[in-house]
Amino acid sequence: MTEPRSPGMSSIQTGPVHTDSTPPAVEMDPVEYTLRKRLPRKLPKRRNDVYVNMKTDFRAQLARCQKLLEGGGHREICVHGLGLAINRAINIALQLQASSQGALQLAANTSTVELVDDLEPEDPDEAGEPMTRTRNNSAIHIKVFYPDPQGP
Amino acid sequence: MFRGCGVVSGQNQYLIREAVRPHPGLEVNRPIHMENGVTPGTCSVYQDQTYSNAGQPAVVNNVSSPLKPTPPLPAPPPALKLGQEGFKKVCRTEEDSPCPFPGLASGVLEMRVKEGSKIRNLMGFAMARMQGEKGVSGGDVSGGGLRQVVFTGSGRAVTKTITCAEIMKRKVGSLHQLTKLRYKVVKEVWESSEGGTSEMTVHRTVPSISILLSKDPLDPQEPGYQPPETLSALWEEGVESASQAACKRPLGPLPYSSFPHCKRVCLGEGVSVHPPH
Repeated sequence: MTEPRSPGMSSIQTGPVHTDSTPPAVEMDPVEYTLRKRLPRKLPKRRNDVYVNMKTDFRAQLARCQKLLEGGGHREICVHGLGLAINRAINIALQLQASSQGALQLAANTSTVELVDDLEPEDPDEAGEPMTRTRNNSAIHIKVFYPDPQGP
Repeated sequence: MFRGCGVVSGQNQYLIREAVRPHPGLEVNRPIHMENGVTPGTCSVYQDQTYSNAGQPAVVNNVSSPLKPTPPLPAPPPALKLGQEGFKKVCRTEEDSPCPFPGLASGVLEMRVKEGSKIRNLMGFAMARMQGEKGVSGGDVSGGGLRQVVFTGSGRAVTKTITCAEIMKRKVGSLHQLTKLRYKVVKEVWESSEGGTSEMTVHRTVPSISILLSKDPLDPQEPGYQPPETLSALWEEGVESASQAACKRPLGPLPYSSFPHCKRVCLGEGVSVHPPH
């Protein structure tokens, strides 16, 4: 979900914002913090929204989408992926398209999602303030749909 | 020398197990090897195989062959990749695929994002071109910079590609976007690390993404089109028509739409990304 790549960059940055895991030595060394990542906010969940994650088995998620499109009677579904799951979301969408023999079309959109991390001081005696910090991650939203013009 | 060895030994252990499995005859006792302090070079082997950079092909042979088979290590976990089965990637070529954006002017800047590309490098270059820096050659002398840019990336670079596009949208502003997804065929040639004689060619399909960002309007009917600065709106419209259950949509200004304001302040992943001034 997160981007493990960027931590090293902290020295160039613009603001108090950093990416995960490595606490930037610059700003806050005296106290150790535990970093907790809050769950990303979600868009409202309609029945045809699929939020892809990296924990669930790929085939299960694919099957779920297939079921929505075939059994569920949906003309279109939205597959959402955040961070690392973008790849998987794309894969699912492309697989759906491939298995439909061209009946399905894809329309992808990208966005940025703001994520919040909580920093909790590890040692309560040292009286570090709990802090929060925000960072951004990329997301993708793929509409998978039957293109015929007769919309619902 | 030794420090290097010490550091890597854990990784080597890992490598061994992987390597042992497919070639039982060729078991390699890497830890012993390491204790002798012979090759800090193994580090690179490990990397070589894992990330499949085409570097140092010879090393693998040197390292593995002189070693004597030793009583097996603990049961090997299932091998994960070709790379750990004694093969290494010699070359990788992407098959040319037609441009996903038909009718695009020929002079459009295409940024190919790779797994190892640094976002700041990519963005530094792309931003300079888009903002029409002097001294950069290109059609525009008007100072306005290029009108369009395409970011493409495949496999593990997809995320980075999107991030680049997102950053650019944020910095340049009012860009029209068109996103295309597809499979890309990648041809890989793998070479056996024992004999060096056998070769395998693998065709793999990897998902790839192409994002066109344009200062000029694009066809809104095209699937994958995204108008400028409408992050939430695009979902609302597509959504209303689409689902019978328009459920709860009380969060009008909420999740995905809330950030444009705070954007400048918190450049999470954008942190590293200053265009050079």
